[in-house]
Amino acid sequence: MDLIRFEKFFYRYKGNEEYALNNINLRIEKDNNFVLLCGETGPGKTTLIRCMNGLIPQFYSGFYKGKVFINEVNTVETSIANLSTEVGIVFQNPENQLIAMNVEHEIAFGLENLGVPRKKIAQKIEESASLTEIEHLLDKAPFELSGGEQQRVAIASILVLEPKLLILDEPTALLDPQMARKIINLLKEIQLERKITILISEHRLDLLLPFADQMILMQNGKVIEHNTLEKTINGDNFQKLNLNKPVIYSIFMKLREENLFEGQIPSSIPDAINSLKNR
Amino acid sequence: MIKDVMYTYPNGTLALKDINLNLYGGEFIGIMGKNGAGKTTLIRTLNGLIRPTHGDIYINDKNISSTTIATLSKKVGIIFQNASHQLFANTVEDEIKFSLKSFNLNKEESQIRTNEILHQFNLEKYRERSPLNLSGGESKKLAIASIICRDPDILIFDEPTLGQDAKEIESFLRLIEKERENGKTIIIITHNIEFAFEFIPRTILMAEGKIIADGPTQKVLNCEELIDKTSLILPQSRQFSLALHSKGFQNADTLFSKADVTKYLMQFLKNSSERAQKR
Amino acid sequence: MSLEFLNAFKFMRKDSFLHNLDPRAKLFLAIVYTVSALLFNQIVPLFFIFLSLIPLVIIGKIFRQWVKSIRGLSFLVIFILFLNTLFISLSFAIAMILRIFIMVSAFSIFFLTVDPNNLALSLISMKLPYEFAFSFSLAFRFVPTIAKEAQNIMDAQQSRGYEMQEKGIINQIKNLFPLLIPLIICSIKRAFNVAEALESRAFGSKKERTYYYTIKYSLKDWIFTIYLILFLTTFIVIKIQFNLMPEFFSWSLPV
Repeated sequence: MDLIRFEKFFYRYKGNEEYALNNINLRIEKDNNFVLLCGETGPGKTTLIRCMNGLIPQFYSGFYKGKVFINEVNTVETSIANLSTEVGIVFQNPENQLIAMNVEHEIAFGLENLGVPRKKIAQKIEESASLTEIEHLLDKAPFELSGGEQQRVAIASILVLEPKLLILDEPTALLDPQMARKIINLLKEIQLERKITILISEHRLDLLLPFADQMILMQNGKVIEHNTLEKTINGDNFQKLNLNKPVIYSIFMKLREENLFEGQIPSSIPDAINSLKNR
Repeated sequence: MIKDVMYTYPNGTLALKDINLNLYGGEFIGIMGKNGAGKTTLIRTLNGLIRPTHGDIYINDKNISSTTIATLSKKVGIIFQNASHQLFANTVEDEIKFSLKSFNLNKEESQIRTNEILHQFNLEKYRERSPLNLSGGESKKLAIASIICRDPDILIFDEPTLGQDAKEIESFLRLIEKERENGKTIIIITHNIEFAFEFIPRTILMAEGKIIADGPTQKVLNCEELIDKTSLILPQSRQFSLALHSKGFQNADTLFSKADVTKYLMQFLKNSSERAQKR
Repeated sequence: MSLEFLNAFKFMRKDSFLHNLDPRAKLFLAIVYTVSALLFNQIVPLFFIFLSLIPLVIIGKIFRQWVKSIRGLSFLVIFILFLNTLFISLSFAIAMILRIFIMVSAFSIFFLTVDPNNLALSLISMKLPYEFAFSFSLAFRFVPTIAKEAQNIMDAQQSRGYEMQEKGIINQIKNLFPLLIPLIICSIKRAFNVAEALESRAFGSKKERTYYYTIKYSLKDWIFTIYLILFLTTFIVIKIQFNLMPEFFSWSLPV
């Protein structure tokens, strides 16, 4: 059973003539992978993400064709609230996601909405907070937190609903590089410990490639590739796409051009060194 | 051109401390540091939005403490991170005309200048469109255009490469080069280490309201201690070269840029294939 | 004056008798004091009521903020003093000023010591629908965010030559557009973002909602409420039997 399945799905926003999503047939399986979603700037990635928990088509008014299934349930036939325990989305700006007066209440919020008993809420708060390492922040107000801490709280408040897929829309955009790295490390830990699939939409490829298992490439509202990391970065689609290619990639592509290197393009520095040593 | 003499000043709390800085015409400077280190505060002092509580700032040898923001903004143009904080007019054309208002041009002159700018930024096709209807990239261009049309001598950008793909960054670079040719001084606040390392000649690092480093980028961004204090990470090319060195690649630690590493590896691979052939 | 004045109503977390009271008790306090103030036109009883606020303010550890709110009224005070003295009498003017002080203080105490979260909870306990109470506390939560955004917008516009001060009423109104339009647009965008985030966390789910934090009336709250009821009753009685009160109750300035 697929976690998410798009069947010939098209979508355009109300008032727009162009389709934001063109014939999407994407399938995301329950294989606990770390998936990286990349594409040129444009509404495609954000739109795709919002289809994955029912926001499209239920919250956004627009015109669609085709179907989207989450755990075999059509997203039009169930409420977004019901889907929140299957797929969780952490949006780009934590400022607009933190709505409570303190961190503890923030994490409890989703569970409150679902009518979970109070004792269970307390237990789940503890688990989430310890996984995201924010136990010491539980009674702080959102504006007292740094950007990285806010992002952790946002992640904890979604994790607490125990979704099988955690999606993050440009989570590191507003963070400085060290904090960005810490958050990505945290996400990797979460993927491994909770055994869930993580999907991140990002521009900062050099930070993320070392962690990804799979990649999805989008262009003009279409998914042009969905493959393992190695296959994707060695493919033509990746090369031609207008992305911020990581430095390692550029270096090895140049070496390949000069016919000095023939192997797979490495995705991280340790990989690169291994490739060079094992010639 | 600008001479910041020592100053401290509180904003409720001490935001900038002991800032002493000399900036010269035609320079291209990057300011980097942790979120909250005082970067945006510093640039706000340059156009009068914030007045230092101690010390003086001189632009072209004139003390600006008594110059109004309106006058200063003609010499110092700041392009903030969020374009939607600026756009409000009925049409894109009106947006530019609004920026030109304080120059007291007559209708003809204003129209000519507006046409020039729209042409320079490739925004002519949006002339009659509402600025609120533009895509993210286009509205950022419009925000930049609405400052450059005033022809300030100093251009300051706050996080210009955020969320931009490779092509957009390229065209931004071209814009900067053109302005520098015209003698403008460019200052950029950024977290984008790769961009800074490759393109910006001089970098200033800030932490806790102080300037902790000021010098050639290659040197400044190479010091591990400084990098740590400012929550940055080493540029990829440098990380790679240090890793190569630690794995036995001779002299790899003298390499800095992407180009350096590429040349080194090309040589290495040529040598090793020659050696292999000899056997 | 205006922005400083608003600060005197901002909630600050502290550990004091007042802060630890149930928000409904504090709402009752505000109402009781307002009603008491409206009962009288004479200086002396109003002065007693005003004095009775001071111990409350002290045990609430909010003295400084309360003083600020009183100070913020100074402009209004001069205005009232002037008009009332002109048309009625100085005594009446002073009585009116005391009345304003009492009412503003009562509500100031409320806002300074009630956590907006608890405010929403107290509204819900009074049978208001959850969505309504929640939007209330959401508004509170975003006030500082929107204030910061407004500042950023002012900075951005000033950086392109926008001048804050313009001459003439019409120009002043036109001059607000470059500030208001971006603010409204940004707020709308923010509203969408917040709504998405809420939906994604099952807001509006048909299930019966659990409330993790609850507010309960404790012994302290009952004692305080009873005190307030007695307080109000005392003053109602004084009002009704005013002619039986000692001479000095009706004291007023010869003006």
